[in-house]
Amino acid sequence: MRINTSLKVSSLLLLTLICFTFNINAQKGKKKADKETVAWRYELEAVATGSAGTYQVKVWSYSKNVETAMEQAKKNAVHGIIFKGFPKKDRVQGQKPIVTDPTIDIQNKDFFEQFFKTGGGDYMRFVTLANNGQIGLGDRIKISKKEYKIGVVVSVNKSELRKYLEKAGIIKGLSNGF
Amino acid sequence: MKKNIILFLAVIAFTSNAFSQAKKPTIMVVPSDVWCNTNGYMMEYDNQGTKVKIPNYKKAFQENSDVQFVISTIGNMMAERGFPLKRMDQVIKTLESNSAEDAIMSSKYSGMGASESPNDKLKAVAKADIIMGLTWTINQTGPEKSVTFVLDGIDAYTDKQVAGATGTGPSSFSAELPVLLEEAVLAHIDNFNAALMTHFEDLFANGREVIVRVKKWDDWYEDLETEYGDDEEELGVLIEDWMADNTVQGRFNTTDATENMMLFEQVRIPLYYERNGKQRAMDTRRFARNLSKYLKEEFEIVSKVTTKGLGRATIYLGGK
Repeated sequence: MRINTSLKVSSLLLLTLICFTFNINAQKGKKKADKETVAWRYELEAVATGSAGTYQVKVWSYSKNVETAMEQAKKNAVHGIIFKGFPKKDRVQGQKPIVTDPTIDIQNKDFFEQFFKTGGGDYMRFVTLANNGQIGLGDRIKISKKEYKIGVVVSVNKSELRKYLEKAGIIKGLSNGF
Repeated sequence: MKKNIILFLAVIAFTSNAFSQAKKPTIMVVPSDVWCNTNGYMMEYDNQGTKVKIPNYKKAFQENSDVQFVISTIGNMMAERGFPLKRMDQVIKTLESNSAEDAIMSSKYSGMGASESPNDKLKAVAKADIIMGLTWTINQTGPEKSVTFVLDGIDAYTDKQVAGATGTGPSSFSAELPVLLEEAVLAHIDNFNAALMTHFEDLFANGREVIVRVKKWDDWYEDLETEYGDDEEELGVLIEDWMADNTVQGRFNTTDATENMMLFEQVRIPLYYERNGKQRAMDTRRFARNLSKYLKEEFEIVSKVTTKGLGRATIYLGGK
């Protein structure tokens, strides 16, 4: 009886410890993503045109581990759609960036800091991981001893993202001023 | 008290500025001549011995469901951006019903019909400020199909291309034509709108680009080389001086000038003017009217102003 109880307690303790470790790792990944994202070191590649206003892109991010790269990929994709656009690939049409003024992020620093905040930033509303976030075979490239270049396919709702930025007063709408 | 008055005046000035809006250009999607020709929607007529082919838009809209589908898809996307399109098929119907209505209308007292000059008849056509020319071709390699899509945004008055998007979509074995067309629209419309946005930004920064023509009536004994004023300057030069003073940053080109006519292109007119202390939206008609008033007040030259949409005006000197 006593052995059974102590076994139960130790199992519970072990489970709690495992959960705690996972959580810490996830938090660590997010914090790392935050740090590494600030550099905005990424490339976007056209994958497909989705339903009205949605684009599927492959985001190539640079990171030491996969978890960080996944977290970064979503931010990088939204950042890329807003500020960089992406070129045409094969027959999939490229897209111009939403903003035409490249200094808009400096002018609205506080807004974009909040927007891209890990764990609660509004950028999450406009991006989803495609293929459940699975990384393709050739999409994990070791570029140095410690760093990987990882390609993650995500889907970004550009149409809703544009509306959000228009509403926030960051960009002007097409009919603005008329 | 003084402070309050200043504050009140500032609020009023700000409010009147904030509510003044520039005239919104109308946009219409029109199947291109190439598309109409390829798909057999042309009509031919004899113009003094020369056979001329023109697009038969009515037939295209009545018989081709793909064109309806593409225009409707583009229309949805544009409406979402706050820019609902003028539908060409509806404009054609309205013109027809207006024409029928005008033909049967008569005055209750005199029994006379409504006045209509040949010029009025000529102007009764489907028009918009920006024409989105639409072309697509279906490419077939064996069972594989793809669509090449061309969307051109043309300023109807300056004839300049202000936006555009072109490309060939991914090929497919199984997708139906409407699916390929929808994909083509979705892939291109954002880039088209980005270019259109750049055009609008330029318009707000540098004024609306329009064309102004000056002509003279045959029975007017003066011409554009007649000298006026204390300095005995030629009328053409005086008009040019007025243009320089009244365009945004003095921007305009005198493309052609003879004793009978002047053609001003790339004329940048301001978007607003002030009337009774309020800002109002300016269009080419108002701009040309100001020139007409100047000629009357300074040199007693009576003139007639005719316009074509927001962007083209002609002033006829020597009478109404």
